[in-house]
Amino acid sequence: MAVLSPTQPTHRRGGRGASGPRPPRRVGFSQRLGRWDVKLSPYLYISPFFLLFALTGLFPLGYTAFVSLHEWNLLGGQGEFVGLENFSAVLAQPVFWKSLVNTFSIFVFSSIPQVLLAITIAALLDQNLRAATFWRMGVLIPYVVAPVAVSMIFGRLFADQYGLINELLGIVGIDPVGWHSDRIASHVAIASMVNFRWTGYNALIFLAAMQAVPRELYEAAVIDGAGRVRQFFSVTVPQIRATIIFIVITSTIGGLQIFDEVRMFDSTGLGGANRDWMTTVVYLYDVAWGNQKDFGRAAAVAWLLFLLIVLIGMVNFLITRRISTSGPKAPAVSRRHTRRLLAQARAAGGAGTAPPTPAPAPAPTDPTTDREDRR
Amino acid sequence: MSSVAVTAQTAGKRAARAAAKRRGRGTRSAQRRPGRLTYILLGTVLLISMFPLYFTLLLGSSDPVTIAQEAVPQWLPDASLFQQFATVFESDRINFWKALTNSVIIAVVTAASVVLFSTLAGYSFAKLRFRGRGPLLVFVIATMAVPTQLGVIPLYILMSDLDWIGKLQAVIVPGLVTAFGVFWMTQYLSEALPYELIEAARVDGASMIRTFWSVALPAARPAAAMLGLFTFVQQWTNYFWPSIVLNSENPTLPLVVKSLQANFFVDYSLVMGGIFLVTLPLLVIFVFVGRQLVAGIMAGAVKG
Amino acid sequence: MLDSTRRTRRTRRAVAATAGVTTLALTLAACGGDSEGADDGATSGDEEITLTVATFNQFGYTDELLAAYTEEHPNVTVKQVTAAKSEDARNNLTTKLAAGGEGLADIEAIEVDWLPELMEFPDLFEDLADPELEGRWLDWKVQQASTPDGKLLGYGTDIGPSAICYRADLFKKAGLPTDREKVAELLGGEDATWDDYFAAGKKFVAKSDAAWFDSATPTYQGMVNQLPAAYEDPETGEPKDLESNTEIRDLYDQVLAASVDDELSAGLKQWEEDWTAGFQNNAWATMICPPWMTASIEQNAGGVEGWDVADVFPGGGVNWGGSFLTVPASGPNTEAAKELAAWLTSPEIQTKAYENANTFPSQVEAQASEAVQTSVNDFFNDAPVGPIFSARAEAIEGAPYKGKNYFAIHQGVQDALERVDIGGDDPEESWKGALDTYASLGL
Repeated sequence: MAVLSPTQPTHRRGGRGASGPRPPRRVGFSQRLGRWDVKLSPYLYISPFFLLFALTGLFPLGYTAFVSLHEWNLLGGQGEFVGLENFSAVLAQPVFWKSLVNTFSIFVFSSIPQVLLAITIAALLDQNLRAATFWRMGVLIPYVVAPVAVSMIFGRLFADQYGLINELLGIVGIDPVGWHSDRIASHVAIASMVNFRWTGYNALIFLAAMQAVPRELYEAAVIDGAGRVRQFFSVTVPQIRATIIFIVITSTIGGLQIFDEVRMFDSTGLGGANRDWMTTVVYLYDVAWGNQKDFGRAAAVAWLLFLLIVLIGMVNFLITRRISTSGPKAPAVSRRHTRRLLAQARAAGGAGTAPPTPAPAPAPTDPTTDREDRR
Repeated sequence: MSSVAVTAQTAGKRAARAAAKRRGRGTRSAQRRPGRLTYILLGTVLLISMFPLYFTLLLGSSDPVTIAQEAVPQWLPDASLFQQFATVFESDRINFWKALTNSVIIAVVTAASVVLFSTLAGYSFAKLRFRGRGPLLVFVIATMAVPTQLGVIPLYILMSDLDWIGKLQAVIVPGLVTAFGVFWMTQYLSEALPYELIEAARVDGASMIRTFWSVALPAARPAAAMLGLFTFVQQWTNYFWPSIVLNSENPTLPLVVKSLQANFFVDYSLVMGGIFLVTLPLLVIFVFVGRQLVAGIMAGAVKG
Repeated sequence: MLDSTRRTRRTRRAVAATAGVTTLALTLAACGGDSEGADDGATSGDEEITLTVATFNQFGYTDELLAAYTEEHPNVTVKQVTAAKSEDARNNLTTKLAAGGEGLADIEAIEVDWLPELMEFPDLFEDLADPELEGRWLDWKVQQASTPDGKLLGYGTDIGPSAICYRADLFKKAGLPTDREKVAELLGGEDATWDDYFAAGKKFVAKSDAAWFDSATPTYQGMVNQLPAAYEDPETGEPKDLESNTEIRDLYDQVLAASVDDELSAGLKQWEEDWTAGFQNNAWATMICPPWMTASIEQNAGGVEGWDVADVFPGGGVNWGGSFLTVPASGPNTEAAKELAAWLTSPEIQTKAYENANTFPSQVEAQASEAVQTSVNDFFNDAPVGPIFSARAEAIEGAPYKGKNYFAIHQGVQDALERVDIGGDDPEESWKGALDTYASLGL
């Protein structure tokens, strides 16, 4: 997936625009019709998305923003306008900060091993395997198991006293790990549920990118005497950089919104007595639906988390852009470069500059899907 | 500028062919077969991937007492598994077949809709020129980062005003589009669909929508297959929202899994048997369409 | 408050109307699915109506039982929607109340623990007070669901008068009496105190590998429910400062001394995997045991022989759990729903529900019924559970005061106990944590 590829110039010649360089081929009514076709079609194509999105995505968001500025009990409804009081109240809560640390820690334990494992598995699959489809389908199996089910299965495996994992550790001679009492251990356990479900999925996306690497590059590397490992690092990795970035960003945003696994990790679902594994989204949920029923503060948490994710996304984007511009120049890049130059030349005289590059991408934001699936 | 007049139809085929050529993967099969180590490693990965699902079969074949005593009650599933299946099928509390039908309807409709609308919007964002394009795209992407647990309440208000509570529309309509889908298709098409092909079709007099239909859509097919799969699975496994807008009389499969549990006692063998049953249809789909699907995904590979 | 609710409603109507137009403009094909609850309109006379009852877990309302109502009221069809877990039902109820009440069932079942927060907004529910029904329930059950100004939010269904369940086989091995009357004596009989209970525990653990009880929190739960006003002042509803709340601090110290210092606790958190497994692994010998807990023990401890119930409870009678039927004010058929709720909670029907699902009745007459008085539980060594729990119910003197902040404060203390009992933290440090949690509530 060519995500976050360097900005492409807007296509300046998509049809017979008024300022198009080409002389009109038809005249009169049909020409006018054609012009409207060109002008309106783009809006027409994005409109189904925006209409539905306004209904099911924007309306809830705007509503939440409105709520965050009011005193608002979940059951009692709207109270007084309080400005930013909810925000300052949330920022003063130690649990809020603790939840941020937990979120970040779980995110590190899930994202990094996940990306490394996925890329390794993809590299293994990116060979001339016997029964290739079988192996490819096999790694995707965890993805089809519902998060609810994954949490229940792993809950049994990670039980402190009678769980399979501690039993296996016992065989190797390691003391049982307190998955529900040790902070770091609980993060590892939760991260492993996330990793289980998403590693194969990511591996397949990596594989797709690897399959697209031109064969000539490998041939050239072989001629240069590069071994397998060398080929992987000097040909494959640079070639799939955009995909790596895509996966890192999607797993960042997914990782910052972990919910189901924590809810189902113990019977209370609030991150343990010490809130040792409470993530920020769970904190948000607890403020709204738990004992406080404080919809106003919960809405403030939602917006704080949103800002944080956007911030991390920006940082991510800046870093990755630097990487992708400083990397070795591959043929793909130069071709893209050429194309851009060509396009610019053609568009010379046309107004405007290239459109802003999109911010890094998160995941499907469907308020109705489980958090797990939002990547 | 391409001055070759080609019909829109050929342009579509050309797109696919050009993309295939760039991928240049066909000749890779001449490469030598990997060694035994690769298979061992992949086999390990596969074992780990399968184990949790296999574990559900083991627990489903056992009984609650044994499950409480042993971390792994037995190593092979046996016929008592079918008792759990029978319980799930026959229970009055559980509308298994209705849930299956509902899940299929929801997953199919949303997957089709997400693919269609995302491809349309993605094509527009990637290849067409219009005022506000940049800001709108940034906007779409930024909203993906919003934690939407809270959005549930306004959305519920909306659904109840539309009188959709308890009906499938309440799950389907919010799932008809995803920002992720639009972004995904935008990124894909901006790479995979050469401007020259659009040019060619337009020069040949094809209308905008015809150009989309015969040039963009074929070129988008690989990414669309992947998006369709993701959406399908996502809706199939979705729990939180359906649990709020639907009820036990008109459930989806994940709701069925949940209703196998009770407040004060969890019959793990029944629940695990249920989990397997709920996952089974997806596995069957995998076996039947998996080959094409994975092939489609692979064909959809874009250069990094 | 009323005014603000109305305002909210108007705003959201407007927004929703706009959104609705958008939807229509898209001409979306409506997809399959049942359309239930087309029961709008006033309820007078013999109009055909459908009433929905939303319950959770097991209330014992079978289809036959509900059909009996239709026989008496031919124009009314009763439907039951069941959530698997009370937590799901609670989310559902809360979300729908927050959204203005639409989509709620005509009758919503609630647990006693949800009452404090619902009590804050009594207008969301119909006032069910009815002079004709006076004396139907135990006084404290009615008191739990009554607002200060005398509104009744729910009709009582079941209750949770707690006894002590114990493992006679483990008692025997440790040289303690096994007979349920003798065990009741051992634990202090009529005037049992927590000290008696813990002292017996010390004797037991000295001679057994098992612990005395599962964990500190349910034990504390039993103790704190015996305080008339644990965390808040019943007069004003204001929270008591936790730091200077010596009653709570004393209980905290007492239960931790028993759990940790005397090693009476198995350190297994209720409803966790390990706790479930603990039943099969002889992890503990006694439990605080309301009637609904017996079902849980029976299922989790399948195959284990030796469980029994003793008619005793340290520190006097105590109630743990129980439910009510409420009628949300937003429903279209509130009068008919009220009538149905009264019928469902009548002694005769509740007795049938008890026979169906072991939900111990809160109705005086139902408790005295033959069905309840003769009921025995064969898993618990044929213990006469009907009379035992009736006696435990009688021992309850009143409902403790639980205001709107009760559970927020309670959770902080419970977490502190859990940190020490299960996590091995220092009790003093952990108490400070509870104080911090209390402070952050900003009360």
